[in-house]
Formats: sequence, C-alpha cells, structure tokens
Amino acid sequence: MGYGRSDSYRVATTQENKDVKEKPKAKGADLEELKKEVPLTEHKMSIEEVCQKHNTDIVQGLTNAKAAEFLIRDGPNALTPPPTTPEWVKFCRQLFGGFSVLLWIGAILCFLAYAIQAATEDEPAGDNLYLGIVLSAVVIITGCFSYFQEAKSSKIMESFKNMVPQQALVIREGEKLQINAEEVVAGDLVEVKGGDRIPADLRVVSAHGCKVDNSSLTGESEPQNRSPECTNDNPLETRNIAFFSTNCVEGTARGIVISTGDRTTMGRIATLASGLDTGKTPIAKEIEHFIHIITGVAVFLGISFFILSIVLGYSWLEAVIFLIGIIVANVPEGLLATVTVCLTLTAKRMAKKNCLVKNLEAVETLGSTSTICSDKTGTLTQNRMTVAHMWFDNQIHEADTTEDQSGASFDKSSETWVALARVAALCNRASFKANQESLPILKRDVAGDASESALLKCIELSCGGVKAMREKNKKVAEIPFNSTNKYQLSVHETEDENDNRYLLVMKGAPERILDRSTTIMVQGKEQPMDEELKEAFQNAYLELGGLGERVLGFCHALLPEDQFPKGFAFDCDDVNFPTENLCFLGLMSMIDPPRAAVPDAVGKCRSAGIKVIMVTGDHPITAKAIAKGVGIISEGNETVEDIAARLNIPVSQVNPRDAKACVIHGSDLKDLSQDQMDDLLKNHTEIVFARTSPQQKLIIVEGCQRLGAIVAVTGDGVNDSPALKKADIGVAMGISGSDVSKQAADMILLDDNFASIVTGVEEGRLIFDNLKKSIAYTLTSNIPEITPFLFFIIVNIPLPLGTITILCIDLGTDMVPAISLAYEIAESDIMKRQPRNPARDKLVNERLISIAYGQIGMIQALGGFFAYFVIMAENGFLPSRLVGIRLYWDDRSNNDLEDSYGQQWTYEQRKIVEFTCHTAFFVSIVVVQWADVIVCKTRRNSVFQQGMRNKILIFGLFEETALAAFLSYCPGMDVALRMYPLKPSWWFCAFPYSFLIFVYDEIRKLILRRHPGGWVEKETYY
Amino acid sequence: MAKEDDERKPKSAPWTEFFWNPRTHEVMGRTASSWGLIILFYLVFYTFLAGMFVLTMYVMLCTIDEYKPTYQDRLAIPGLMIRPKGELMEIIYNIEDTESWDKYIQKLDNFLAPYNDSVQAQKNDVCTPDSFFYQEDSGEVRNNPKRSCQFNRTMLGSCSGLGSESDVRTYGYGTGQPCIFIKLNRVIGMLPGKGQAPYVSCGPKNQDTDKIGELEYFPTNGSYNFMYYPFYGIRAQVNYSQPLVAVKFTNITYNTDVNVECKIISDTITEYSERDKFAGRVSFRLRINKNI
Repeated sequence: MGYGRSDSYRVATTQENKDVKEKPKAKGADLEELKKEVPLTEHKMSIEEVCQKHNTDIVQGLTNAKAAEFLIRDGPNALTPPPTTPEWVKFCRQLFGGFSVLLWIGAILCFLAYAIQAATEDEPAGDNLYLGIVLSAVVIITGCFSYFQEAKSSKIMESFKNMVPQQALVIREGEKLQINAEEVVAGDLVEVKGGDRIPADLRVVSAHGCKVDNSSLTGESEPQNRSPECTNDNPLETRNIAFFSTNCVEGTARGIVISTGDRTTMGRIATLASGLDTGKTPIAKEIEHFIHIITGVAVFLGISFFILSIVLGYSWLEAVIFLIGIIVANVPEGLLATVTVCLTLTAKRMAKKNCLVKNLEAVETLGSTSTICSDKTGTLTQNRMTVAHMWFDNQIHEADTTEDQSGASFDKSSETWVALARVAALCNRASFKANQESLPILKRDVAGDASESALLKCIELSCGGVKAMREKNKKVAEIPFNSTNKYQLSVHETEDENDNRYLLVMKGAPERILDRSTTIMVQGKEQPMDEELKEAFQNAYLELGGLGERVLGFCHALLPEDQFPKGFAFDCDDVNFPTENLCFLGLMSMIDPPRAAVPDAVGKCRSAGIKVIMVTGDHPITAKAIAKGVGIISEGNETVEDIAARLNIPVSQVNPRDAKACVIHGSDLKDLSQDQMDDLLKNHTEIVFARTSPQQKLIIVEGCQRLGAIVAVTGDGVNDSPALKKADIGVAMGISGSDVSKQAADMILLDDNFASIVTGVEEGRLIFDNLKKSIAYTLTSNIPEITPFLFFIIVNIPLPLGTITILCIDLGTDMVPAISLAYEIAESDIMKRQPRNPARDKLVNERLISIAYGQIGMIQALGGFFAYFVIMAENGFLPSRLVGIRLYWDDRSNNDLEDSYGQQWTYEQRKIVEFTCHTAFFVSIVVVQWADVIVCKTRRNSVFQQGMRNKILIFGLFEETALAAFLSYCPGMDVALRMYPLKPSWWFCAFPYSFLIFVYDEIRKLILRRHPGGWVEKETYY
Repeated sequence: MAKEDDERKPKSAPWTEFFWNPRTHEVMGRTASSWGLIILFYLVFYTFLAGMFVLTMYVMLCTIDEYKPTYQDRLAIPGLMIRPKGELMEIIYNIEDTESWDKYIQKLDNFLAPYNDSVQAQKNDVCTPDSFFYQEDSGEVRNNPKRSCQFNRTMLGSCSGLGSESDVRTYGYGTGQPCIFIKLNRVIGMLPGKGQAPYVSCGPKNQDTDKIGELEYFPTNGSYNFMYYPFYGIRAQVNYSQPLVAVKFTNITYNTDVNVECKIISDTITEYSERDKFAGRVSFRLRINKNI
C-alpha cells in the first residue's frame, strides 16, 4: 500500500532533487512566495495604464498577431494539472512503501542465506529459497491489490472532472470572437454575461449589473457586484477584478485579461496546493513505529542466538544462516495483507456511508483527528441564501430554514404577512427555471439574484403560486436595484378587477425604506409611524443584523386612482409617481443557513474530544452567527467582544483568558506572530477565523499541527485546497466541491454532508482499535513459529516446525480470523473518548508485544511443543533421545538411526515422522489460535460481555480448522507440502493450552477492569 | 514495555538516557522496582507454564509403553544398511594405498567385535534355526529379560575377518575383493518372511551390469534366519544380535565406479517405496582403484 499520499507532487520533487541540486531551493522559495498574498496591482491602475501594460486597446482589443504571440509566450490559459505520477511510480510506491520494505528485506536475507548455503553445501535445503520467493510474492500480490484498490477510487475521482471545454467571447481587432477559453491571452478584451465562467483574471472596464460568485475563491456565499471602480486595496475584495474560474451570476461585464493560466489568482492557489509537501499519515507513522519494534525484537533475538550458536560451537557460516533465519522468522508475512484488507474493508464501509477515501491510509486518519478546521460555506451551510427571519407586526418571526422543511412555522394568518408576501413576490425579478414542477421547491433552480431567489422560494413555500400571483398583478413599471438608490421598485395592477388602483411595491436597504415610509402596517391596519415603532424597527434591524443576516425592508402603497388612472404611463427614468410616504410592511432577513445535520455532528465531534474550528472567507458577523448556530461556539461561551459588551467595558480591559471562544479577523491574523498564534490556538476552545485568505488557512492548519494536533480540513472551494493538502486529512465535498479541492483532498464526502465526517471519525477509531487486535492476534503466532527453530539450534532436536507450515499459518489459517477482527464492534462508545495522543497511544506498543510474545505466544509455543513431543514419543523417540540427535537425524546417509526402543529408522522414515510433527505443530497452533482470536476480540471487556456476534469471526474459526484438516488429510499433500495425516488424538494435544490461554486472558482482563490504572493495566493494556 | 513517561521525555535527551536516566533513576526506561516487578511476574508466569508443561508431558509419558512404541506404521518396510558405511554410501579405496582402506578394516573390526563367537556364546543362546523365536509376555506378566540367539562371526566365512591370511583378515580389501556387510533394520515385532527365509540379493544399478563381476554371499544364500526374529526392543532384549549378510565382490572391475543395489527378497516385503531409497533395499557406490 502506498505510505505516501497519492498526491503526485512528492515523487516529482524528489526526482528533481536528485537531478538538479539547485532546484529544491528555488522550489522552496517559490512556495514561500506563493504563500504570500496575491501581488495584483492592476486594480489600482487606471484603465489606460492597464491597456498600456498589456499592449492592448480598449475598443479594438488585441490584434490577432499579438494574441498569437502572447499565446506562445504565456502558454495556453489553463491550469497546469498537478504532475500526474506515472502509473509505474504509483505501483512501485505500493510495492516498496512502508511495511513492504520489511518483507523485502526478509526476502533478500532469505536469498542471501540460500546463496551462502548453495556456495558451501552440496545439497542446500531449498527452504530459504522458497521462503524468499513466497515473501516476494506476498509483497507483489498485496502491492497489486492495494494498487488496484486505489486505482478504483481514482477512477471515481476522474469521473468528477468536468470535461466540457469552456468558451470565451473575446474582442480582437474590433471583432467579437467565440474562442476556446484556453486560447485567451493577457491583454484580451473579454465579455462575460450571466451564467458564464470567467475565463481568466479580468480587470473590469465596464459592467452592467454584473455579479460574480466568488464563493469558491473567498468563501463568501453572496454574489459580489463588479464595476470598473477600485473599491479596496485588497485585490480579492476590490470590485474591479473578476477572477478566473469564478462564475458570473448575472449582468454583463467587459474586462481586460490581466493574467492567464497558472498566473491567475486561482492558478497560484492551485499551484500552492500541489506544491505543498504533506507529511506521513498517522497510520504510516504507526506502521513505521511497529516496524521499528519488530526489527528491534528480530535483531535482538538474531544477535543473541548468533552469539549463542558461536558459543555452542557452530561454524561462522552456520551461525550466519541461523541469524538470518531468526530475523526472517520474525517477519509477520501475513500482516501486510491483513492490514491492507482491513483498511480496504473500512474504506468500502465508509464509501457506503458516502465517505470516499482516496488513499487507504487516510481511512484511519479521521479517527486520530483532534482538530477539524471546517470551511463554512457549503460545508457547514447549505450554500444557498434562505429567508431566516421576518419582522412584521412588531414581532420577529422565524422562517423554516431546514433542508427538508421540518422546522418551525409561523403565523401566516396576519394580513401584514399577506401584504409582505405580496411585495416580496412581486418586487422580485427572480423566477424558477422551466420544467421543474416535480422537484421540491428548495431544490429547484432559480434564475436570478441569491437574495431574490431566497425570497421567491420562501414565498412559494409559504403561500405558493408566485407565478399566478405575478400574472394576476401585471407589472407595469420597474426600477431595478442600484447602489445609489439602494432600493428596487415596481408598479403592478391589483388582482381585484374592480379596483383600478395601481400597487407600488418596494424593497431595499431597511433604513432607506423606513425613510420613505410614513405609516406602518400592524395587524393589517395602517398606523402612523411613531417613535416607538421606529425604535422597535431599529431593534429588530440590529438584532437580525447581529445574527449575520442580510436584512431587506419592504413597503408598498396603493396609488390613488384619481391621480394614476388605469393606463397611466409610468416613467421610470424621470419618476412621475411618488416614491415616498409609503406604508412600511416589515423586514425579511436572509442567511445561508446551516445544514440540518451539522449541529448534531459538531456536538458529536465535541464529545469525541475533537476541536472544531471554523475557517471562512466570509464576514465575521455571519461566521459567528453560523458558528453559534451549529454549535462551534457553544451556548454560554462568549468572545472577548461579547464580554466587553455585556460588562460595558472596552475590549482591551477584558482578560482574554476569560473568553473561551474567539472570532479572529483575517487582517488581525496577518499581524500575529507564531507564538501569539500558538497561544491563541491553545487557549481558546472555540475559534472562528473569518475573512481568511487561502494562505492564511494554510497558516492556521500549520499552527494546529505545530501544537501536535492531527488536523482534518473540510472545504469545497479552491481557496481551501492548500489547507486541504497540508492537513493530515483533507476532506472535500463531492457535489459542490471544486476539482482543485478534490484533487488536494484525501477523502471526499459524496453527499457534501459534514455529518459524514462523524461516521469517518467513528470508523477510523474503530479500525485503529481493531487493527491493534488484528496485529496482536497475528503477532502472537510468531512465537510458536520462532521457538522451534531456536530449540533446533540450541538443544539439537529435529526441527519441530518447518518453513512451509509456518507459511501455511501466516498466509493460510491466520488470515481470515485476523481479518475478521476488523469486523469487531467497539467495546465502548468510541465517540465518547478523547482522540488518541499520537505521541503516546501507539498502534503497536511494548505492552502489546509483551502480551503477544511474552505471554500468549509462550503458551502457544508450549502447546505446539507438547504435540511435537507426543508424536515423537508415540513413534519411539522419547524426549531424552531427541536432545542432541539433530546431526544424525538430518544425515541423509544415516539410514539406521536408533530410537529409544532400539528400532532403526531410515532417513525417509524418520523424516515422515518429523513432517508429521510439523503438521501436528501446525494444527496445534491453529487450536491455540482459536483461543487467541476469541481473546483478541476484546482488549478490556470479557468475551461474555462482548458476545460472539461477529459472524465473520465464527466463519474464520471454522475456515481455519477446515483448512488445517484439508492440509493434513488431503491426499497428495505429503508430496506437495510434506504434510501428513494426523491421528485424531493428536488434534487434542494443544487443547489444554488453548483453554489456558482463554482462562489466563479472561483473568487478566478481569483484573484490568477491577483495578483501573493498576499494575496490570500499566503493563498489559495495549 | 517501556513506561509511557519515557515517551513524554523531551526529544533532546541523549540516547544514553535510555540506558541510564539519572533524573528518574530509570534503566532502559524502567525504575528498579518496575524492573523487579515485571521480572518477578515473568518469573512466576514462566514457572507456572513450565510446571504445566511438565505436568502434561508427565501425563503423556505415563501413557507410553516402556517396551513397545505406540505407533510403528512408518516402519512397515524395514530399511537396509551397509557396513562399512563410508562417506555418503561410497566405498572408495586404492589397493596399493594401505591407508586408504585401513579405516574400513578398523570400522569393521569394531563393528564385528560383538559377534565374536566367544562373546556370543557367553551372552546368547543357541536357538533352533528356521523358525521364529517367540518369547511373548503372558498378559501383564513380563517375560523379561528376553533371550537372544547367537550370531557367530565365523558364520561369515571368508568375510569374517578371522584368520591369518591377509585376504581374510582384511575382509578382502587388500586383495581387491571387498566384503560389504548388509543388515536389516531392527523393527520391534517384525517378522521378515513367512515360509521362506528372507535373503539379500545384490545386483548392478544403471549400466554397470558387467562391471560388478561375481558375488559371494555369507552365510549361505545370504539369508537372515527366522530365529533372530521377532525383535523385542533393546529394553527387553538387551543382548540382541542383529543378523548380518556379507557380500563379497570377487571379480569387480577396477578403476571405475560401480553402482550396486542390494534388495531384501522376502515373501512379506514385496513392495519398495518410491520415495524411500533405503526401505527394503540399499544402494551404494564402490570404486576400487589399482595402479596399472
């Protein structure tokens, strides 16, 4: 399996490192450069300067010749895809990564030992050669398996890619041309209209009601106006720049291309993301640690017995062969496959729950996660403006914002509401796109501005029939919204045919609407607007604004019939009708509401000890409101500002330690030193970062990692991708996510639901626990596999267990039970405990080795040896005769070896007995492994508490037994694998030891439960 | 088994602290008492395991018969073996080079010493030839020690190594007519034939047909007399003398490898194992060099 992430970058750089010594420095500097903010200056220049800079003309555009020249100079206007790793490199990474290295070293040692034997002996035993071949085969097969597994997920990835080529409308030599977006060059004059994708970074030269959706770049959920004026020094916030790959929502604009391809803002972020070096996954680190332990044990054993065999008088060569043999015997051949299968199973299980894991190792990462940095827009929220509150009849009403309309409803009977709804429906240019009648209202596509569509949907939901209403109230005049008026107005016929008055409806910025109103409708009655009501309005406005919502005011007026008779010509340019002294109806406020499942999911994360940080490009007020809404800032927790407001003191006098929560603005973040940043992250449990740039998101993630946290980042926009990449696990959104973010992520939420992360955490934690059990189970049988060889060397008995039988255990009978432990259910509520501390809670620790090797493994070895001695004794070789017999036993020319009874044996005859012993030892290991797998089901609980509901495990028990019986009794096995049929009584030799294992471990766990924190827990709880 | 604290230690600690940490008085990450406890635990644990193992072994050994092994199914066809054994079943020497065959003489002298007539007469009985010498136990009462029949060295004739002529005394090695002794592996209770006594028949292997020359067998016919069977195991039949057959190569071709295979011909041992080249037969290489 690949212990590097499957991002393609790393290999590319390492190759470069080797090739050119200078390059890494340059690359490093590049990255640092990219981490800085965007160095755009065009927004501050005048249009003429921009034209001059790019050699273009404001009317004619570029000449074709120049365009061609620039195209050659700059290359096509497309993002360089991250250098894709060649398939063979990916394959090799699977073959030589992490755990496989251990097996490869084992295989090489085997071949080495065989070479030594072949050089020194006439008839070398083939064992080492076979073992080497099998080890290589295991690595290659598992490598192929995980390679195809990951190839499968990357295929799903590819299906996300949008293959439709983009078109762009450019003006060259004064003519409008529709060209492929890739051919756009800097200096081109480009026209965009609503629905287009911006083909490159544009400096806007003229715009008509143009709005762009920057959410994938900045995280702002509302479309932004574009106009030729420079409104902000920050290029991301100024209005006269439109960014590559954002969408133009409505209106038209014309602009000069200022940069293309990778030099665009979006391109820089994408390059930054693909240029980031990601660390190892936590599981890769754990496996590395495990390899260290195993290698340590192997080398220790090997060296000790090397010295011992020299002391015992073996030759140097023999001792070296023993050394290699012992080291290789310590390699758990089957574990690589087991771990891979366990991770794959979990990955599949997660994919079913809508978490697609791009690389296997990331499966566990969510389980170790201690901090989640979540983007707001689209992840926590629905990325859709929705009417959240209304204020009418001097009261704030709550609208239903849930996705499935399960929330609270409000009183719709008030006449004020009817009037308000009518205004909202009529003074609204948004409309449903055609042929969507079958879809639920909230899912329908709307043409128009986000807030207008919010109103449209709200009215359609609560009153219905907006279309009919509009037909009945024909529009006769309209003044669209503009930034000087800050209102929108239209005049309609009334639906009452007898009433020939015209209805004037208006919506806009609340204070402007209020200024134009003299009366206010309360409970359907018009009342004069007095100070008291004005104050009520102010309070409501402030309260809704404080919730981070965008507030609109509504008013109407019925124009007197005598002045405006039917057929009156309304002139919207030179307004010939009153736009003041209207009747105020109420306020409606909109927000991009949180997804329904998010608050619950955040709560679960919190109880699982995971810190959830919001990192968004949106405004602090909105961010804070959503944070409060979803529980990222929990009820009762205050920020410094809240405390200051409550106590009525300046912010500077509040002790920052008193505030658990904080909202940090991107511009403040810029000025923080690293220490301050650490301090901030350490001392606040609930943090919201607002107005952050992509680079700052990256800094936040790095800050968390510096404090030792394992960080998950969720996000959907391009602006999130550097952070996604840097995070220990990046989680992208499958539906709304941009391609760049999906590329950078390790995991994709297919349903865009933050709650799926909780599933991921749960599965990740479970697989970590279960991998421990699986490894404990697999490692245990290492001891009964090694000890026979050790005794063979020290006391010179015939070999009790051969290489083939060892492989039959590791790659045969142990497999299914070990894998079945991955299906084990959790022992306690894993979502109620703290995330593991990567420094302390290791996958494989000394205690696990102590239990597996020192205790259970030893009992198993005794069971095996007992079976061995039984068979030898029953065939005539009593234990006393066996000790020291090895040299004669293995001498091919000695065909009259005497047993304890004086019978004489040929080489072949006694070898059959020896191989029968191997078979019996093998069967005994299967028998003791029955108990071991039951014991390994739990780490703390008793089996009687846990139950035997794991059907795969029960199947595994039967399967290993059947396999053992098959290997022993199948005709032909004596020739094929040198395994011989056992007499039935020999199956029972290991039973007492199997029983002992069960009883011993149950007692151990009982003490463990009775004395938490006691000696037994300290020494044996793994 | 290192305690957790050692992982919490700052990374800057020198690695020697792993072996001796002066601040916490830890040796290899454990304090003395911690080491004491864990060693004590393992001591007790392994003592218990050893006890359990000894117990099960004791129970098992109690079920084992002292005089006859529980299973003999792997010994259905007794093996054949030669003396002198040589290296890898090869007997190679040079007639002129005394030292090259002297080692065989030494080995054979030692091998045949227990068969000296005086020794046999002292320890063993004279039995009735051509019939099995049964000495069964009567129920629980053991009929021990069991007697054995004499196999006298003199029965081996010119291969007995007894005599003054150098030809006989050197078992024919000095004259290029070597004797090879063939014995049938001992198997408790085995009866090697029914009516006809089993005998050894040697012949050339591969293409060595004409090189082998004539053969002479001792005792006559090269047979194993029934009176030496059945064998009751060395515990019951302490002085058992394993019967021998000597084969003398009287006319072997010199200076070439001669591959010989000897088989036991018996009416009970009829099939030979494909895999086991020494069950019921034995093959060896003979090469006698002579300077021309």
